[in-house]
This record gives sequence, C-alpha cells and structure tokens, in this order.
Amino acid sequence: MKKLGITACSALLVLAAALGGCASKPADSGTQANPQPKAQTAAPAAGKNELTLGVNGDPHSWDPIDTFLLDWSTVATSVFEGLVERSTDLKLQPGLAESWEFKDDKTLQFKLRQGVKFHNGEPFNAEAVKFTFDRLLGEEGKKGPQQANYASIDHVEVVDEFTVNMILKEKDPVLITKLAGYGGVIVPPQYVKEKGDEYFNTHPVGTGPFKMESYEKDNKVVLVKNENYWKQGLPKLEKVTFRFIPEATTRLAEMQTGAIDVMKKVEISQTDSIKGMSDLELMQVGSPTVYALRFDTTKKPVDNVKVREAIAYAIDADLIIDTLLGGYGKRVNSFQSEMSFGHDPSLPLRQYDPEKAKQLLAEAGVKEGTELELFLPGTDATFKEVAQAIELQLGQVGLKVKLNLVDSSTFTSDLIPNGKAGHMYRNGWGGWTLDFDNTAYLMYHKGEFWNPDFYDEKVEELLAAERSTFDQDKRLEAFKELNKRLYELVPEVPLYQTINLWAVNKRVKGFQPPADERIDLREVSVE
Amino acid sequence: MTTFLIRRLLHSIFVVLAITLVIFVLVRLTGDPVSIMFQAGEPTKEAIAELRKNLGLDEPVYVQFLLYLKDMFTGNLGTSFRTGESVIGMMQEKMGATLLLAFGGMFVALLIAIPVGIISAVRRGSVADFFGRIFSLLGISFPNFWLGIMLIIIFAVKLRWFPASGYQGLEYLVLPSVALGLILSGILARLVRSSMLEVLNQQYINTARSKGIKEWIVVIKHGLRNALIPTVTFIGLQFGTLLGGTVIIEQVFSWPGIGRMLIDAISQRDFPVIQGSVIILSFLMIFVNLLVDISYGFIDPRIRQGGGKSE
Repeated sequence: MKKLGITACSALLVLAAALGGCASKPADSGTQANPQPKAQTAAPAAGKNELTLGVNGDPHSWDPIDTFLLDWSTVATSVFEGLVERSTDLKLQPGLAESWEFKDDKTLQFKLRQGVKFHNGEPFNAEAVKFTFDRLLGEEGKKGPQQANYASIDHVEVVDEFTVNMILKEKDPVLITKLAGYGGVIVPPQYVKEKGDEYFNTHPVGTGPFKMESYEKDNKVVLVKNENYWKQGLPKLEKVTFRFIPEATTRLAEMQTGAIDVMKKVEISQTDSIKGMSDLELMQVGSPTVYALRFDTTKKPVDNVKVREAIAYAIDADLIIDTLLGGYGKRVNSFQSEMSFGHDPSLPLRQYDPEKAKQLLAEAGVKEGTELELFLPGTDATFKEVAQAIELQLGQVGLKVKLNLVDSSTFTSDLIPNGKAGHMYRNGWGGWTLDFDNTAYLMYHKGEFWNPDFYDEKVEELLAAERSTFDQDKRLEAFKELNKRLYELVPEVPLYQTINLWAVNKRVKGFQPPADERIDLREVSVE
Repeated sequence: MTTFLIRRLLHSIFVVLAITLVIFVLVRLTGDPVSIMFQAGEPTKEAIAELRKNLGLDEPVYVQFLLYLKDMFTGNLGTSFRTGESVIGMMQEKMGATLLLAFGGMFVALLIAIPVGIISAVRRGSVADFFGRIFSLLGISFPNFWLGIMLIIIFAVKLRWFPASGYQGLEYLVLPSVALGLILSGILARLVRSSMLEVLNQQYINTARSKGIKEWIVVIKHGLRNALIPTVTFIGLQFGTLLGGTVIIEQVFSWPGIGRMLIDAISQRDFPVIQGSVIILSFLMIFVNLLVDISYGFIDPRIRQGGGKSE
C-alpha cells in the first residue's frame, strides 16, 4: 500500500512537472521571473503612486497595425502616440506633431515636436514618421485590419529632420481625425527592424507617458513611468497595472476587495452595489456607440416606408431607457451620438404614438398579426431585454415579433452582410472617427459590407458631396440634409446612445472616464 | 503490456486524425474570420480579399486541410490569425495554468469524495450517510459558474481569506480549485460509496475481520483498495469533464489558461488556435486514459500479471 502510494504520487508529480514545468513560464520571461508579492485583499491595490485597473479584455496583439479593439486602445493609449491626439473630451489637439497645414489638396505638411524619444532611447523624427506609414501602407500592413483605414495616403516624404509631407491619393476630410486613431500611432524604426515584427507585437515601444514593463497574456500588463516623457512633470503615476478580468461580477468583487482601483464596464445591475460603498465612486460618460433597430428594406412589409415609420412610432424608447437601462442611455434622433460631427440637434425625435402607428399600418394595408423577425446576438443581455420590450410594444399595435437570438460573430460576419438577419436586427455602431462620414458611408452607401439592401439616390449624392470637400461648414450642411433624408426614409429606428459606467476608488485623483475608452492616465495620481 | 501500448498508440493516431478532420471542417462552417477582423474599420472588397489570401483562406478547403496535415506531422499547428503567434507556443504558455487548475480541482474532489464516500458506506443509513448523500446531490446540482461567484463573494469579498481572481501565486489556486472540484466530488463521493458498499459485502472482508484485524485497516486496506478500480476509471473519464469545466472556471476567476484562450479564439474565429487547442486537448485526454489503464496494474496485481488483459 505504501509503495503504491509513493509510486502513484511520484507518477503524478512527474506528469505535472513534464506538462506544467515547461509551460508555466509567463509570456515575458525577461523582466518578471518572480511573481508579484502577494496582493493585499483588504488594503488598496497598490502603494503610493501605483494604480491597478480592472479591464474586461486582453488585446493580445500590441502592434497598432494588427488591431481594431477598444481593449487595445484602453491600454495602448498610454504607450503609443500619434501625430495628432484626441483629448478625453474628444477634441483634436497636437500630439507628436506641433502643427499641420494643407499645402494643397493633396499635400499635408506636419511640423514635428523636437526632443522626443522612444522608450528605447531612439529619437523621434521625420524618419520615424516615414517608417511608420511605409510599414502601415506596405506589406506588413496588409496582414492587419488597419491599412484600409488609411488608404487615402499615398506616401510620406521627409522634408527635413522635423518636417514631413503626407502625399494623398484623394481628398480625405477625416484624415486628421484618423491620424489620432490606432493605425496612425508612431513606431520606432530601429527597434522594429532589429527585433522584428513578432517581437514588437508582444514588446511594444512607443513615445507615450508609460512604457511596458511586463505582459502576461490574459492576466495582466504592467506599465511604468516614462522618465523622459516630453510633457514636463507628467505622468504623475510611477506604475500602472491593467488586470484582464472578463467577468463583470469578478471585476466588481475585485473592486470591493480593493484589489483594483478602477473598474471598466460596470453593468447597470451593479450600480447599486457601487453606490452602496462609501469609498467608491460611480462615474458615467456618454459613449459614441449608438443602438438602432435596422430594417432590411427589401423584405415585405418593411419595404414600405409607412410600415417602418409605424414601427418607429410604436416603440417607446424613453420607457426603455428609463426602465431597462436604468436611465443610463440617451435618445438619439439619428444613427450617431451627439459627439459625432454631423449630429443635428434640430432634427426632431419621433415621440411614442401607438395610435399613429396603427393608422400608418392600416394605410399600408398591413394585417393584424403580421409576423416580423427580429435578429440579435445572443450574448447581448441588455439588448435582449430591449428586444423583448420592443416585441411587447409592437404587439400592442398588432405586429407579431419573433425574436431570433444568434451567435454574435455569425450575426455580424454572415447574417447581416448577406441579408439573412430577418426583417429587422440590432445595429450597434461606434463610429471611431467621430465623424458621421464613417458611419453613414458604411451603413447607407450601396454595396458596403454591412449594407446589403439599402439604396437611395439622394443619399448617394449627399455622401459624395460631404466626401469631396475639406470645408467643414459645407460638410455639416451635407450631413444635415442627409440626416433629414434618412429621417424620412427610416432605414432604422434610432434607439439610444449608450452611457459607459466606471467605478473608481476615491483615493484616485484626476481620473476622467473617456468617451472612447482610451484612458489618459497622464494627470492621474493616487493618494 | 508492450503490444498493448503499441496498439493503443496506433489507435490514438487514428482518433487524432479523425478529430482533426472534424474540427477543421466544423470551424469553417461557423463564419468568416476575415470580416470579423474588420469589424471596426472600413473594409473594402479588395482589402478583404487580400487579407483572406494572406491567411491562406482563398484555397479550397481540402487543399487547406492537406496543407494543415502536412504541417501537423512536422509539429507545426500553424499561427494565430489574430496575433501571428505559433499555436504550439501559445499552448505551451497556457497549458501549465490549465493543468494546474485541473489537478487542483481533482485534488479537492478526491480530498472530499473519498472520506465522504467511505463514511457514507461504512455508516450506511446513519445521519452521516444522510448528509453525505445530500452533499453529493448538491455537488451534482450546482452549476459551477454560480458556485464560483458564490465562493468569490463569501471567501474573497466578505471574509477576505483568498484573492478573488487572477494568477500570481498558490493562494490564487484555492477558490477556482474548490469551485471546480466540488462539483466533481459530488459524483465521485456517490461512486466511492456504492463501490465501497459492494466491496464490504465480499467474503474476503469477512475473512479479514474474522482474523481480528482492526476495522479501519479492513476498511482502508481491504475495502478501499478494491473499491478504487472503478473510481480510478471514472476519474480518467472525468478528466475531460474537468478540462471542460476549466473553460468556465477560468472565465469566472480570470485564470489565464487554455479555456479562456479557446473562448477568445472561438469568438474571433481564430481557426488555427481553435484547431490546435482541440487537437492538443484530445491528445491529453487519450494520454490520461492510457495512464488510467496502466494504473490498474498498480492497484490490482492480477491485471499486471495478466499482461494484455487490462484492455
């Protein structure tokens, strides 16, 4: 018996060592062979000037040209910088470029900031900018999803050490905004050439206020202060840890134990727990993401604009926001948030009017009990409740809604593009450039990936008009017309703009919840 | 034993090949990874075609499969569509964490199930037996994500005995192991109880008792050892369930293992990572079942002496 026990134990140990031993090395073996000291569960997450944030997702790729994820930007905004930066209140301001001007329609000249260094000591200059865009627009960029966003750039020319000309293929009025985006951040040429793209993908180096110290996939990433940061006196924090905690319940538990100081993506059902704790603060910020009920305008009976209008009148969006969203949402009059360039506050909201809906349905000859299919991704618990409310409200005007919950990837990559998402479906969109151009073009221009059905000649004209000029007043005018036209055509029922909720420990000072999920930690400090 | 091992090995190769084919075809029925990669950008038809070509998705499926097999036999399971990392490397990185969790869960399950099962069997019909059976029933009935959340709320938030989530030291292993093991311990305790009951009614137990051996020695040495054979088989079979359970437990406890990687890969349609994970997990299952077969020989000398009979 004893012998058996010993044999069995040693067999297990050998097995565990063989399988586990070779594998348990963390992603970055260079800098963090020793695991962190035991985290205090009761006391604050870290010491003075150290901040720990609980975020929902690990971006997995750190190379800016290989990603499109908000999870990336939440962390990487502290590591990388673009020529242009977008402040927390979403204003464009100089970043690594001090100024820029259009020399002509196709030449955009940047004067670069001097004395800036990458985290590895390499100087930031015109060569770095040229290298970044050559890489983005060349072979390496082809492998990732960012290249297509910058297709209007032909190439970059070095004028002198701190001046570059960006030569454009075509007019692109949104280009400046895009340069504050993911693919436009500047990468270090020597480092990438020497270490290779694969290494760069897990060991990113930029000019940002923090540099990456270690990264353990699906666990955490640790950033430390960039002592040579170009903005005097910043950043204030010495060390920042982002922990990847996918479950909201677990994130909340970590917030309550004090293991994290900031929690991203607080759910509406969790707001009372946060408010109930005296040392925590609930912060809210309107996000650029809007939700709508989009129609497939080729399917009967929603091919008839009267039916679409009737549905818009039959849905009580205010009630949905007040009850299901706990008030954490804002009504929208078009498929864009109020922070999007092109938003028109003077456009009316359709007010809930079931009688008018019934009348319109009667005019369109739609019989009582007509069945409509509504598709939504099964993982979206909030919208599932919204869809049930819509089912009920449309039932009151005589329409029978059948809800179809589907896998979210199939939904976006197969059902919507191929016109297989029923009569109507959940449409959510962020519009990353915060300019209606991005949303409007992808949603209403004929033949776009996510627009298999909708077409209107006037809409096409207006889209072409806003794209063909740099004159922002003229563009705004075109968007105004476009909004009006879309209001009449009702390709979707705009429902609400989401509000993002953050929980922050009161010992954290200077934290601003970002609308675009890109946290600016430069001014943040900890008591 | 050697011929048995060789036969099992050949058998395993066919199983792995079949699994490879099934998973390869199945993931390709689930959607297009390229359009998911473009979710937030401005995809043009050309850009999509270009990316598809770069990922090797423009070839017919059977060509893709043959190329994959060719790579597989040279020990290459491809690279992630998303990050470009080698799948083998990713698995190596994560395997340790997942196996640690699975063994932790198994340890907790055995630690609870064996004593509970023995006491239930020896004191059959007593109050202890009653509570033992109630415990088993609860263990079987709790969904493990719920149990995980409850453990976090009680032991991390309220009592602050253990950290709630993450992976930075051994104390981080406690709650996820308990969440994983408790479920299994319910079924296991029932099994130990019933096989103990069967064994305790055997003639040789009476013989042992009549020799005047202490009761606990009779129970442990003569009873438990014989009752262990069905238990060990069961543990081998449950190892798959345990690995499956880690998928959810890893999500709840932010444990950086294969389960979370697999969930991410599935939602992103990262075909090479899904295929690689499934193939390696199948290998692991086959391997564990082989170990189970071999372990019979240690537990029951009759099987060892009988050579190939253990099959």
